[in-house]
Amino acid sequence: MQPLLSSLFDQTERQPLSVSELTGMIRGELEKRFSSVWVEGEISNFRAHGSGHWYFTLKDEFAQLRSACYRSSNQRIRFRPEDGLQVRARGRLGVYEQKGEYQLIVEALEPVGAGALQLAFEQTKARLQAEGLFAAELKRAIPLLPRRVGVITSPSGAAIRDILNVISRRTRTVHVLFTSARVQGDGAAQEIVRAIKFLNDFHARALKDGRLDDAIDVMIVGRGGGSIEDLWAFNEEVVARAIRSSAIPVISAVGHETDFTIADFVADLRAPTPSAAAEIVAAHEAQLCSLLGTLTTNLARSIRYRIASSRTEVQELALSPAFDAVAARLHEAMVATGAAEHRLRTAITSTVQRAQRRVGAATHSLSPVHLSSAVRAARTRFESLSKARDAGIATRLETARQQLAMLAAALDAMSPLKVLERGYAIAHDAQGHIVREASTMTIGDALRLRLWKGVVDCRVEGTENE
Amino acid sequence: MGNTKPKNFETSLEELERIVRELEQGELTLEKSLELFEQGVKLSRECQDRLTQAERRIEILMRDNQGRAAVRPFDPESELSGGSDGDDSQ
Repeated sequence: MQPLLSSLFDQTERQPLSVSELTGMIRGELEKRFSSVWVEGEISNFRAHGSGHWYFTLKDEFAQLRSACYRSSNQRIRFRPEDGLQVRARGRLGVYEQKGEYQLIVEALEPVGAGALQLAFEQTKARLQAEGLFAAELKRAIPLLPRRVGVITSPSGAAIRDILNVISRRTRTVHVLFTSARVQGDGAAQEIVRAIKFLNDFHARALKDGRLDDAIDVMIVGRGGGSIEDLWAFNEEVVARAIRSSAIPVISAVGHETDFTIADFVADLRAPTPSAAAEIVAAHEAQLCSLLGTLTTNLARSIRYRIASSRTEVQELALSPAFDAVAARLHEAMVATGAAEHRLRTAITSTVQRAQRRVGAATHSLSPVHLSSAVRAARTRFESLSKARDAGIATRLETARQQLAMLAAALDAMSPLKVLERGYAIAHDAQGHIVREASTMTIGDALRLRLWKGVVDCRVEGTENE
Repeated sequence: MGNTKPKNFETSLEELERIVRELEQGELTLEKSLELFEQGVKLSRECQDRLTQAERRIEILMRDNQGRAAVRPFDPESELSGGSDGDDSQ
């Protein structure tokens, strides 16, 4: 200070300096002296100008310091300064000569306490949350069996290897469509955004052209683990918005299990690691295969069971006693029919046999041999009879005539009537018997005497045996 | 039941599950059971086809010289050569 002061006093002795001269000198001294300082204070009156520059005041209990952070510097600052925030600023002092004002030109800024990135993360999170980007209603279901999976990550990182390993190991049918994007460093966020749009355009065109097989069912966006700085692209608002506006459901897969990024909050599903994301996509193939197997088995079993139970029902009905009675009656009827048929057959058989025998006999007797012998016998007999008749018939007639005459004479002589005519009588007892011996009669017996003409009834008065 | 557009796998599978459940409850007429069974077999076949038709493929989607999207096979063995852009290995 000594040289400065003395030079000022020197000047007063000669001639006064112009304001410009003095201000110029102050500017030179201040800017040289404070070309790189660290200062800590609280932000107030923060204004982001349309030009992209930031203006604010740093203050503590006793003093204030006007500060400016130009666009070229604040682009590298992840968080957004806000009033009341305690910060450490690095920069240089600048003097604005026209107004005679000095201010801190801020080149780097970081919050006191939490790290800048942490703060930036919290700020982005709060802002997007307030906007509703994390709402549960916006989350879309990840298809159970994604056929085509888009993967966005770096081609040189661990994530793509892990994802492809898992998918190769766990699935037979999943189709991976990889789109590369740098996942860290300047411009990484923009590359990720472009890749998300690229896959979405591809998907939309496939749908529009009706190539359903080319449509993308789900997309994995992520990278392997790293520092918060490495993972930063996934905390960028542009990436969050690209994920949220993707037509394809997005699984975020950033870093390790303990790393949470804005992408995780905004994605339809957060996988703890890229491998886990691949597992989610792949897991169901085996499960679904076995579920489908089980369902198919159960389907077949239940219909078999259903048919078996119907069959049992029918069998039970068929075994009911009602059918037994019918069967018994049918059986009886069959037996009766059988017996009748048997009798009928027997009867017919014997009738036929009898008839056959008669026919046989008739046929026999009608046989020419039999008939001719019968005819011969009859003729012989007829001839002998004819001869005898011719020989004997005359004598027999004469003899018969004589006998007849003799018999007639005898008959006439022996006729009782002839005897009675000659005076004889025939005595009959009471019983009508002819009385031939006197001894048969007793006195008083009735006697009827038959005379030649008429009858005399009389009584025995006495008998005399000869 | 739309025949025009292939049903999505989940829908088919859910329908198959519902059919099996109904059949297992066994309160349907034999005729209805057989009808459902037939449907179930059809769905099962569809799902089976969905599961077995596709083959695993790994492809890369890039822009060609004219900036158009182009798909070509991607061979992780030859194309993934440990990284400069590296995320640390997990």
